[in-house]
This record gives sequence, C-alpha cells and structure tokens, in this order.
Amino acid sequence: MRGRGGTAILLDVLTGALLFLLLFPVIWIFLGSIKPDPDIMAANPWPSRVTFENYIAVFHKEGFLIALRNSLIVGLSAAIITTALAAPAAYSLSRFTYRGKAAVNLLILGTQTLPVVAVLVPIVVIVRNLGLTNTLTALIFTHLALGLPIAVWVLKGYIDAIPRDLEDAALVDGCGRFEVMLRVMLPLLKPALVAVGTFAFVLSWGEYLLALSLVSKSDVRTLPLALQSLFDPYQFSWGTVMAGGVVIALPAVVLFLVFRKQLVGGLLAGAVKG
Amino acid sequence: MVSSSPTADRAGVSSPARFSVERLLPYGMVAPAVLVAFAIAVVPLIYQIWLSFQDWYMLRQPQPVFGGLVNFVNLLHDGALWSAFARTWVWTIGTVLVEIAIAVPVALLLNRETAMARIASALILVPWVTPFIVVGFGWRFLLDSDVGALHLFLEAIGLAGNTSLLTDPLGALAAVTFISGWKGAPFMVIALLAALKSIPVELYEAAEADGAGPVARFWHITVPSVWNTIVMVGLVLGILAFYSFDLVWIMTKGGPQDATTIVGISIYKAVFLDLRPAYAAAISVVMLVGLFAASLLVLQLRRR
Repeated sequence: MRGRGGTAILLDVLTGALLFLLLFPVIWIFLGSIKPDPDIMAANPWPSRVTFENYIAVFHKEGFLIALRNSLIVGLSAAIITTALAAPAAYSLSRFTYRGKAAVNLLILGTQTLPVVAVLVPIVVIVRNLGLTNTLTALIFTHLALGLPIAVWVLKGYIDAIPRDLEDAALVDGCGRFEVMLRVMLPLLKPALVAVGTFAFVLSWGEYLLALSLVSKSDVRTLPLALQSLFDPYQFSWGTVMAGGVVIALPAVVLFLVFRKQLVGGLLAGAVKG
Repeated sequence: MVSSSPTADRAGVSSPARFSVERLLPYGMVAPAVLVAFAIAVVPLIYQIWLSFQDWYMLRQPQPVFGGLVNFVNLLHDGALWSAFARTWVWTIGTVLVEIAIAVPVALLLNRETAMARIASALILVPWVTPFIVVGFGWRFLLDSDVGALHLFLEAIGLAGNTSLLTDPLGALAAVTFISGWKGAPFMVIALLAALKSIPVELYEAAEADGAGPVARFWHITVPSVWNTIVMVGLVLGILAFYSFDLVWIMTKGGPQDATTIVGISIYKAVFLDLRPAYAAAISVVMLVGLFAASLLVLQLRRR
C-alpha cells in the first residue's frame, strides 16, 4: 500500500513536470505581457516588477479597440446564428426518421472535416463577386462553417439522451409540436445551447485565415489581424505583442475550459465517427 | 388511450393538414442548417472545380475564360509546387508523429484518479484552444535571436547559432512542425483518455493474475484497445495538418526561401501574391484528390 502511494505521488510529480513543459510557451507569453521592457531585453525569466504598461500600450494602439469591437460583433453574431440553426437541425436529426436523413448527416460531417484552406479560393472569389469584401457580414457568414457542424453534433447527442416520454406526455396533454419544443425541450437544452454558442464564439474569435483573406481595410479588422499589425518596425515591443496576445487568448481559453465537459464529448464523437 | 374530447376534436378536424405538416416538419427544421452547409461547403467545392478549368491570370486576363486543362498542365511543370507537396507530406506526418509522441505518455499519466490528473486534464487543453496568432507570436518570441529564452537555451546546447532557428531552412521546418504537433497534441490526449477509460479493469486484473508484467499488459491490452482511436484521430489531425496555413504563415511566411512553404501557403500566394485564382483552385483540386486517396490508405490501418 505504502509503495502504491509513493508511486502515485511520483507519477503526480511527473505529470506536473510534463504539464509545465507543455504549457511553458503559454506561461512565457503571459510573463512577457507583465514584464517591463528591460526584463524582456535581458531575457529575465521572472519579471523584476509586474507592470501593466504593455496592456495600456496595446489598448492605445490605433485600431485595437475597433478590432475588439469587430471581433465581438462577428463572434456574437456567428454564435447566435450557429445556435439558432443548429438547434432545430439537431432536433430533427435526433427525433424523426425520414428519407434523406443519412445524406444530411453526411453533409454535416463532411462540412466539419472540410478545412478552410480547401475552399479558400472559391470563397474569396464568391465574396468578391457579391461585393462583400471588407465587410463584417462576409466574416460572420463564413465563420458559420467553423462551429455549425460541431454544434449540430453536440446538440444531437444531448437530445438523444433526453427521454422521449417527456415530449410524449406533453403531446398527450394537448400541446402542439412547437409548444413541446419551446416549453419542454428548450429549457432542458439551455446549458447545451450556451455551450455550443460559446464554442462558436471562441472559434470565430481566434479565426485568422478567412479574416486575412477577406479583410484589408483597418476599420473591419478583427483582433488577430490587429495583433499582426503590432509588428511595427519603428516602435515594436514584444511586451505589447504579448499583452495583445493575452487579451485575445484569455477569453478563448477561459470560455472553453468552463464548457469543456459539454464540448469535449461532441468533438470526439465528430472525429471518431468521421 | 385516454382521450379527452378537445384532443380528439383537434386530431379529428385537422388530421390531413396535420399529417402533411408533421411530414414536412423534420425537413423544415433541418433545412436552414443544410442550406448554410451547402453555401459554405458544397457550392464552393463545385465552383472550385469550375474555376480550375478557367484561364484567369489577373495581370493579363482580368475576367476568367475557359482554359481547359491549362492550369493542370502548368501545375505539372511547376517544380516549386511539387516540392511544396513533398514538404507538406513531411510536415503532415511529422506533425502527427509529434502529436502521438506527446499524447501517449501524457494520456497514460492522466488516466489516474488523482487531483493532479484531473486538473492537468483540463489545463492540458490550453495550447489547443489558444488561437494560432497568439501561439505563433509566442513561439517567435521564444525563438527570437535577441531576446528569446528558448533561443538562448538552444544556442547554449549548440543546436542554434547566433541567428534564430527560424532563419535556417531545415531548422525552421523542424521547428514549425514540432510546434504544430505540440498545438494539436491535446486533442489526441483527450481522445486517448476517453479510449483508455473505456478499457475494462477486469482485462488488466485477469492478465495480472496470469502473470503478465506491466510491459506485457501495455502491449497486449492497452495498445490494441486504443489503436483504432490513434488511427482515426491521427487521420483527422493529419487532414487538419495537411491543410494548415495559419501557424506557418504567422511564423515564417513560408520562408526562409521556400523552406516551410507547404501547399496551404502555395495556394494563398497563388491567389494573393501571383493573382492567379484559377491556378490556385487547380492546386486545391489536386490536393483534395491526393488527400482522399491517402485517407483511404490510412483507413486500412484500422484493426477489424
């Protein structure tokens, strides 16, 4: 018994060490954001004093606040539309049997495994032909592709797990289908809806390639593009770039970890079924 | 069946209409999502095939005209592109190998019921959810030849000279491949963890009773049980790696020279720097066909 306890502690120490190594780059980014410039120049591992100068500097950079606003508009819109489209689709795929359902499943799974680079060229040309280059609309619409398939998978898994008896009972009581969905299913699904909406937001928030390809004007830039523009050859500071990085990474990391339990299962199901 | 009179009336009066509404309802509910999936996946893919047969070089041919196989003929003679294809395979396989090499030991360590293992299985996800733009700049900071902590370390052990690893062709490719694997590994970890947790404890107990040591148990129980997960998740992560763009563009822009130009970078450059969208579409089409064939091959690795 004593030997087993000792092994457990040893393995815990090993786990901690490995975790530290794997997270080291992220920790370094954070430390870089709170170090004064001389510490960065000297490559000091630990800040000699904690400073918020870098954060103040990044928010004073021209366009950073506009980019923050744009990222919020695009991310929130993509999250709301993704959830609104995914919920009825998931309900339909979970509760009904009909012709063409297998094809719909395949289409949604296919969309999930299709990387952005594979359809970048036609999307850029189509957006340009529609006159939507340099608009947030184009970003919102194309960002739907990032979260929608996963949202359908996660929600379908949730609905599959809710017993049909609940709905049947309400139907027998004389509620119509829509009433059942709104009054019975929607409250039960609320946590899952929040989770998939959050995930869609996180994916849109950090998205780089579509933003880079569809946006060239500074007033429609999103945060990843704004961070890139901080590489100013005349007044460049690693501290400012790292502070900007933390501003972008923090919401994504925190939101994902909060909803980790709801999301991880659906992500794995999508991957393994594919 | 208990039917109070109002319910019966309702069912009786509106039966035919209700019937068709009930039949159309599932389609109506799934239609918006299907339409969006069509608009952002199916339509672009079809349009891409059409584009790949056009002659469209914006500097001398501002509007696309039918060009037949002109792009595919050019593609055959594009030596730089074939190098990029070869490099993309190195990068893809390298990324997946790094992912497996990191994920297997980590998942084995996390498959325990201690507080440390629980906390670590949440925090391990951080590199995976941190946006590429942030990790890309973070690693550039680490590898910077003036202030980079990792650069100083590599210099001390003789792996880097006084210039950054990212300025050396081979070093840059190795570095971005490793970073790509590091960023994708957490996904493999959580998949492996789920597979490990589903192995019945009885299997291990029975093997232990039969006198199998830890190594034998690992090779004869653990590896066969998680093999299909490794293959399937490896395939998904491999597809993602094959179509990468973000990390490499952020870190090296495909350089030095063409040392880290993978096909994703070639496509981007063909559209935005060379202004040849139809040619880029042709590259994408060839890429899709090649990837499809490779995926079928990988699926043969599954245990039945």
